[in-house]
Amino acid sequence: MNRQNILGLMAAAAPADGGEVVVVKDERGQPHRGKVFAAVHAHLDDVPYYASGLCAKLMSEGYTGYIVRTSNDEKYGGRSTAQNILSNEEDHFRMAAALGFKDVFDFYYQNHEMNGISYLDLRGRLILIFRFLKVDTVLSFNPWGHGEDDSDHWVTGRAVDEACWMAGMPNDFHEHLDAGIQPHRVSERYYFCARPEQPFNRVVDIRSHLEKKIDAIVECKSRGDGNRGSLVRAQLAKQGKRLALLGNDDRTADRAYARQFLLDEDREHGKQHKLEFAERFYYIDQRRPAKSKAEEYIEKNAVRI
Amino acid sequence: MERRRFLGRSVAGGLALGGAAALQGQRSNLPPAVTPTAYAVPKGEYNAYLTPDYHTYASDLVIERDQPGKPHQGKVLAAIQAHSDDITLFAAGTVAKLINEGYTGYLIRVSNDEKAGRTVGHGVVQNEIDNQEAAKALGCKKAYSFYYRNHRMDDCAMIEIRQRLMFLFRLLQVNTVFAMDPYDHYDENPDHIVVGKAVESASWMASPGGGHEYPEQLKAGLKHCQIRERYYHCRSPQGHNLVNRVVDISSYIDRKVRANVANKGKGPAGDNGMRLRQELARQGKKLPLLGNDDDTANFQYTKHFLMEDFRVLGKQFGLEYAETFRYIGQEPNLRQAVRKYVDGHAVPL
Repeated sequence: MNRQNILGLMAAAAPADGGEVVVVKDERGQPHRGKVFAAVHAHLDDVPYYASGLCAKLMSEGYTGYIVRTSNDEKYGGRSTAQNILSNEEDHFRMAAALGFKDVFDFYYQNHEMNGISYLDLRGRLILIFRFLKVDTVLSFNPWGHGEDDSDHWVTGRAVDEACWMAGMPNDFHEHLDAGIQPHRVSERYYFCARPEQPFNRVVDIRSHLEKKIDAIVECKSRGDGNRGSLVRAQLAKQGKRLALLGNDDRTADRAYARQFLLDEDREHGKQHKLEFAERFYYIDQRRPAKSKAEEYIEKNAVRI
Repeated sequence: MERRRFLGRSVAGGLALGGAAALQGQRSNLPPAVTPTAYAVPKGEYNAYLTPDYHTYASDLVIERDQPGKPHQGKVLAAIQAHSDDITLFAAGTVAKLINEGYTGYLIRVSNDEKAGRTVGHGVVQNEIDNQEAAKALGCKKAYSFYYRNHRMDDCAMIEIRQRLMFLFRLLQVNTVFAMDPYDHYDENPDHIVVGKAVESASWMASPGGGHEYPEQLKAGLKHCQIRERYYHCRSPQGHNLVNRVVDISSYIDRKVRANVANKGKGPAGDNGMRLRQELARQGKKLPLLGNDDDTANFQYTKHFLMEDFRVLGKQFGLEYAETFRYIGQEPNLRQAVRKYVDGHAVPL
């Protein structure tokens, strides 16, 4: 996530050129029990801003969630490169715990340098994870999304896109089968709407998951402004001032700041569909029917010889 | 190994005895005060070019001989080759020896060998079969193939190959690896160099000493492995490497021959004995050496003409047949050494 782009995003109206837009609301009970999703992002604050409402929604409806961070976030944190890597790592674990992810995978490819890595290495790692976790659904960057100026984003999105279908091919990394890890195709994808010109066909109502989203954002201290509220509070205190909005402690200040200033994009997205807060995605459904048309035809028309 | 090169040299020399012999008998112009740092490897009578032109020998060279019983029971070796004929030509005797002494063996081929065959399609199919058959001949439990494109592996992501090797090393709990020496001088084949380097780095990264490498493999149920021994072989004829281990393969020469005969699509052995026998028959002739059937012809052709270089190599060390390696054994364990020192020197306060 790039804060400068967030600000740009807020000012622009996203065109819905992803086909018919479907508004997705909460489902009752646990309709997704037994299913698994993986949220694959490049940086600590990508999922929190683009998709943490959906992640919280899916997990509340029965999904088991896993999160994969591909970069090491070394360029953010305001300290030395090494200290930035550590602080982002710690933030990532805390953010994942706040959202309820079952496990965290960090790949630590060099931040802002991912267009120079071996993309095949990244794809191979994702294939293994998709297979052994039996991932049904992924959330990640749109590999075809225009306006994406962060190479870490598009490299991650492209690798995810290919890993989704290759994970189902037995001749790709066939050695996995010897470890008892079977081919497993990922059949549903939610691509982030990370830049103003990127398409979307799903608007997800995240109102009932807003507190979880704030939980996630405030853990993004090394990057993502998660501690901006407490920093502002401390700065004002030095000047002998206070802001009533920020309350009397850092935790309250961070949450209040996030709620007041960092969710405008979700408010804007929701407003267009008469929702309070919403996240946008380009959704691809590749689930296959239990029986193909050909199988149905054969079953219906086959006669005894 | 490159088949065309082998054939080209054989034809040019006409299985030429004179050329090789003359070369070996050549007087050195090295001044008396200069100690050579590489030694010309004597060639066999048929000069199959299966041993390198030069060897550089280490002062602590060891001859590894047959061991009675199954001293390696419970251990696992992986023999990694770029092409279906690399291990069979240069290390098959030693691989067969270690398996017979208790190792469980696996053969891993990294390329698809597409450049050796009537068409690319026929080539990859035949070499795929050959890899399986060579593994059986060596006594390996299983053969793997990664199918990267032949002769183009310098265009592959070496880090992906390394990732896959680490996966297999951890899955199979490999203790010992065989591969082309990544420091084999003057090797012309990019596939060899890429595979050698990938094996070299995968060997230590797959172990706990490799740190946090591919932790998702561990989460998927694999465990770190401990690769403590590496046998690096050279290629021939142009390559040469540092040799610190000579392995007596006399008891396993027939296994080595069988493994090479299994390589129908590539390499100098395969069905060449059968073809020679058929060609002679068409001329109304026969060679008693080749026997009365195709299998015997292939075996005898390979043993007599191709293994000769390994016989001559062995003769230098008083062995019937030998293979040579840069061997890297278990590294010293600092913690154990310190513990031993502490145990021996600690006194009451």
